[in-house]
Amino acid sequence: MRDLKKIFNPKSIAIIGAKDKENSVGSGLMKNALKGKSRVYAVNPNREKILGIKCFPSVKSIPGFVDLAIIAVPASIVPLVVKECSEKKVGAMIIVSAGFSENGSRGKILQKRIIEIAKRAGIPLLGPNCLGVLGPKNGLNASFAPSLPKPGGIAFISQSGAIIDSLIDCNENYGFSGLVSYGNEADLSLTDFIEWFGFDKETKVIALYLEGILEGRRFMEVCKRVSKNKPILVIKAGKSKQVQNAVSTHTGSLAGNYQIYQAAFKQSGVHEAETLEELFDVAKALSWQPRIKNGIAIITNGGGCGVLGADYCQELGVKLSKITEENLRKLDKVMHPAFSRSNPLDIIGDALSYRYKAGIDTLLSQRNVNGILVIQTSQIMTESEKNAKIVIEASKKYPRKAIVACFMGGKIAGLGINILEKNYIPNYSDPKRAVRALKGLIK
Amino acid sequence: MKVLDFEKTRKLLLKHKIPFPKTELATSKKQALFFAEKIGYPVVLKISLLVLHKTDVKGVITGIKDRKEMEKAWEHIGRKEVLVQKMIKGKEIILGMKKDAQFGPVLMAGFGGIFVELFKDVSFRIAPVDEKQGLEMLKELKSFPVLKGFRGDRGVNIKEIVRVIVNLSKLSLDKNIKEIDFNPLIVNEKKAFVVDAKIIYERS
Repeated sequence: MRDLKKIFNPKSIAIIGAKDKENSVGSGLMKNALKGKSRVYAVNPNREKILGIKCFPSVKSIPGFVDLAIIAVPASIVPLVVKECSEKKVGAMIIVSAGFSENGSRGKILQKRIIEIAKRAGIPLLGPNCLGVLGPKNGLNASFAPSLPKPGGIAFISQSGAIIDSLIDCNENYGFSGLVSYGNEADLSLTDFIEWFGFDKETKVIALYLEGILEGRRFMEVCKRVSKNKPILVIKAGKSKQVQNAVSTHTGSLAGNYQIYQAAFKQSGVHEAETLEELFDVAKALSWQPRIKNGIAIITNGGGCGVLGADYCQELGVKLSKITEENLRKLDKVMHPAFSRSNPLDIIGDALSYRYKAGIDTLLSQRNVNGILVIQTSQIMTESEKNAKIVIEASKKYPRKAIVACFMGGKIAGLGINILEKNYIPNYSDPKRAVRALKGLIK
Repeated sequence: MKVLDFEKTRKLLLKHKIPFPKTELATSKKQALFFAEKIGYPVVLKISLLVLHKTDVKGVITGIKDRKEMEKAWEHIGRKEVLVQKMIKGKEIILGMKKDAQFGPVLMAGFGGIFVELFKDVSFRIAPVDEKQGLEMLKELKSFPVLKGFRGDRGVNIKEIVRVIVNLSKLSLDKNIKEIDFNPLIVNEKKAFVVDAKIIYERS
């Protein structure tokens, strides 16, 4: 495994190509780095000071050690800067600059040159053509992303930097152990980061956005190993790509690029998501809730949503456990006479919190119920906050069972949703999203 | 890229324990009749010139029951090199392999001749695969119930197909081979035979 400590935990960072011009990559990198705990050096031969700190003419003129060099200079002078970094013996490099293998034959030659220098010096290199890395727990923002998201259990490794930017900016309640934009993979590859997060204790789930893989076999081998203990989710872009090179067999014409990726994911325990929403819905559940065996229950105060939930369970292969006779008799005493007496447990629209409490407790007490989906529609008497607190109590009482919520609505539901999400109960606005998240928790 | 000839294909299949029906290459009518007797009717006659879709060019005549039919078939095909093959009855499967630049050999399994093209009922795995994965490949097919036996129709010997998949997987590790089609592999209650094999290799 490659040692990435200097990337994720640098004591000192040098920004080469630092700037103070508003809205430039060089100033974005500076501002982000200065918010963290690492010592920050600015490097730019044309400036004396940047954002109030002394500016060095080159990385070699910095007096102390440099753990991480972030390079944001024009592609043509990157080889020179990389050479200086190798002479300075920096711990690791991130090349943000574009204009390499993604940019014609001249770019390819430049990229080859920087790999040679970095490899000879034995310095790990991320990029070029990337956004950088973020480590929310350490307060590390070695990127020009707009801000640093909350810490949490999701590691997101992305071939697209822009998706990371929007993810950070979104209103969803995601927490990250790390975010990596891996760019052209000149040296450090997607697989190196999967391996790293596989061992990282903070990381509960690894999510990937990818278009293509450079080393298919190694990717499979590493994912097979990592996915035994830690779930890996992927969204694959570029599915419609036509079969390339001329083919002369049926197999050749039927085996499209995406079919091959699907087979590789399946064989290495990597779960595919269809949309970014699904990717992070499932990732959030996996970062907050335990993984369980199949067999769940649904409780709802709205019959329609319960039926939808049951339909989605059937579609996705999530089993609804049978409620025991004994438990039904218990529920008979508490519930409205018209309650469903089956799973999904419909506790009827006028349900106050005591019915939720009785229902959730009874269902979770059953050995064959490994998880529960709590659906709440927003009716005039619905006690959203109280219901949320009941769910949280239940999750404390049954830490090995998974709880996913679908509090539907706006103002009324929102009161409960805030409480749920603060206490690591994932809430989804639609029963389908919630069932998919539950399905993701099933081993 | 070249297509492996009949003799070399036969040797390679033998070496990898991949079963195929008794097949002989005849270069005259007399020889063809002799082989047909030796193999035993019913037989299939097909052109040995390697063409992608043999059924499209009417290069295959199946169900030849006796000497008289054989003579007629020979005239109809009108070629100098013809394969005489024991006729096998059963369901048609397609198995294949393609080398991918990133993942190496990729195996494919699908159901039945023209159905593969019409409905794309195929599944894929990256080689090598073992028996368990080979069986999963078949189970993934929408038409798997047809192989197992559906509505009174007797099923086929699935284990035999899996055995061919595993041996194809071993064969696919050969560096010089680029693509393989076993199309069709005919399977019945007892056995599975590769009736037509097309192996594409790189000139070395």
